Amino acid sequence: MSETVTLDRVEPQEVRAIVRFSALLVEDNLADSELVMRELRRGGFEVTCDVVQTADQFRQKLQTTTPDVVLADYNLGSWRGMEALEILRSAGLDIPLILVSGAMGDVTAVECIKQGATDYVLKDSLTRLPASVRRALEEKQVRKERRQAEADLARKAEELARSNRDLEQFAYVASHDLQEPLRMVAAYTQLLAERYGDKLDENAHKYIQYALEGALRMQTLVQDLLTFSRVGRDRKRAAVACDVVVQEALQNLQAAVQESGAIVHRNTLPTVSGDHTQLVQLFQNLIGNAIKFRGEKSPVITVSADRNGAETIEAEWVFSVSDNGIGIAPEHVEAIFVIFQRLHTRAEYPGNGVGLAICKKIVEQHGGRIWVESKAGEGASIRFTLLANPVDGDKDHTQ
Amino acid sequence: MNDIEVDILLVEDSQDDIDLALHTLRRENLANHIFVVRDGEEALDFLFCTGPYADRNPAHMPKLVLLDLKLPKVDGMEVLERLRNDPRSTNLPVVIMTSSKEEKDVANGYHLRVNSFIQKPVDFEQFRQTVKAIGLYWLLINQRPQNHAAKKPADQVKS
Amino acid sequence: MKESPDILLVDDNPADVGLTREVLAASTHHANIHNVPDGEEAIAFLHRRGKYTDAVRPDLVMLDLNMPRKGGRAVLAEVKTDPGLRTIPIVVFTTSHADKDIIHSYELGANCYISKPGNLGDFFSAVQSIEEFWFGFTSLPH
Repeated sequence: MSETVTLDRVEPQEVRAIVRFSALLVEDNLADSELVMRELRRGGFEVTCDVVQTADQFRQKLQTTTPDVVLADYNLGSWRGMEALEILRSAGLDIPLILVSGAMGDVTAVECIKQGATDYVLKDSLTRLPASVRRALEEKQVRKERRQAEADLARKAEELARSNRDLEQFAYVASHDLQEPLRMVAAYTQLLAERYGDKLDENAHKYIQYALEGALRMQTLVQDLLTFSRVGRDRKRAAVACDVVVQEALQNLQAAVQESGAIVHRNTLPTVSGDHTQLVQLFQNLIGNAIKFRGEKSPVITVSADRNGAETIEAEWVFSVSDNGIGIAPEHVEAIFVIFQRLHTRAEYPGNGVGLAICKKIVEQHGGRIWVESKAGEGASIRFTLLANPVDGDKDHTQ
Repeated sequence: MNDIEVDILLVEDSQDDIDLALHTLRRENLANHIFVVRDGEEALDFLFCTGPYADRNPAHMPKLVLLDLKLPKVDGMEVLERLRNDPRSTNLPVVIMTSSKEEKDVANGYHLRVNSFIQKPVDFEQFRQTVKAIGLYWLLINQRPQNHAAKKPADQVKS
Repeated sequence: MKESPDILLVDDNPADVGLTREVLAASTHHANIHNVPDGEEAIAFLHRRGKYTDAVRPDLVMLDLNMPRKGGRAVLAEVKTDPGLRTIPIVVFTTSHADKDIIHSYELGANCYISKPGNLGDFFSAVQSIEEFWFGFTSLPH
């Protein structure tokens, strides 16, 4: 083995973040191990090295330290460097192993890499070693960061899921527990008016009326909150025919349709992947709104769907429920989907402002998005996306 | 037959009583589908989907069983006992409607967990009122135990 | 039907008790209302223990579910498994609309389940219906 002193220096700008690391050398020849250490230091690394010779020493060393990289000779007399790789694997350690070896056929070298060795460096080309080690350490860093990111993501997803469950639980309990005291207020205020009405003056009646209205409105708000919090419970996923869904929604809205003289046009609607009951609620709320927020003319409502994207499994349908009603001014377009946000007084139009919030929740739980296109006075078009039904049919996922 | 959802199962062998009950329930719009069986054995076959009713959908239990006591083949008390001992029907609302005035029948009925025990009035008009009251109370006012998440009608539009 | 039937009203909300008493006072059956505020008192009343040694045996129990100390479910469980008490009809009359409360009550032997309506008029109707049905049409065990 010739001692060729090369004057490779690592240029300052090539020094990357990794400068300091620990190596575990598996080498039965002391001189060779010294050469390796010297080469690493010449490569600009601050390296602490341990040397072991036998498999037992290797195992024992791993119990007390965790090196950043293992440099192993291919041929160790009674055992082989690749066995060290096995030991690392069975201990579940993600430590790169670089073979540092005398002559090794290319075939053997490639085989070793296939079996999991990170790299191989020939002993008469030790100058390649620092670069090889640097690359191995960088790849390990990337792997570690990615695992960390995945763990973070999983944890955040779990936190979010738990937070959602807590919120739903809270909304349910709150609205449930709020109902009793509300009933007390509403009932006894009403009794006060009925039983003592003749002893009270006009102002007192007005006060009672406001108190009663407040209590009754709170009752419906609480019930609406409960309804909203329940959206998404017992959700199923299956193939749902939207024609059937819209038919059912219209049936539920029969009275409103008749009373307003509404005409509903429908294109042929597709089959989508989702929960039947929720989708009925979705269309029912949208068509019901279209009827409610009508202007002078009788409502004319169109329900249609267009395919978005190629005939792939991820393709989605863009639905549209359009009307000729009072429309929505552009500055309010975001607010309407927020729970309890209303654009009109109760004297103008009844309701608590929960219908569209429910629609948004349903659409988003189905993986879609919902938005509105409208101008004040010119009708509105609520548009939303739903995933097309995959060709092979859906399993029933109850959540 | 298999898929019709029955509102009331009327277990009664007196044709007069059947006619009057059906007439009252329909006139008061209390039930859409009333199914009549005339003996205890048929009642059990119907509810447990056996014998001539083997094709009936077991998920569709009636909302209420109106049960006479003096029945051929299997009497009302035994029907009640069998219903209560079977998990499929243990919570099924059962109202006994009988001409019996025996105190021990009343006690027995409640002991076997009948929901309520009604003695059939002899008077024609009172009988009608009684059937109407039963229908109102057990189909409209009382909250029934739901077995499965049957498809509920969508709530009214909230906006 | 005896002269004045006795109702054991198990409810801790004096406002609801007040409303219920009003409705029942106006009826033709002149029911006597005995009110206890929780499950423990209810059981003591039914077993005629402690201060309830002279208590009557009620013809009907109206039972709320959510009460302090001992709730309605425990009362149902105890009463409906007691051979001496199980024939007394129990009407669960409670705020909860929850399916699980409904099913659970029936499983424990409730005769029927009525949710307290939110508005005054409906509340009155509900109590009236209970009273009319159980005292006007039903035969009660003695």
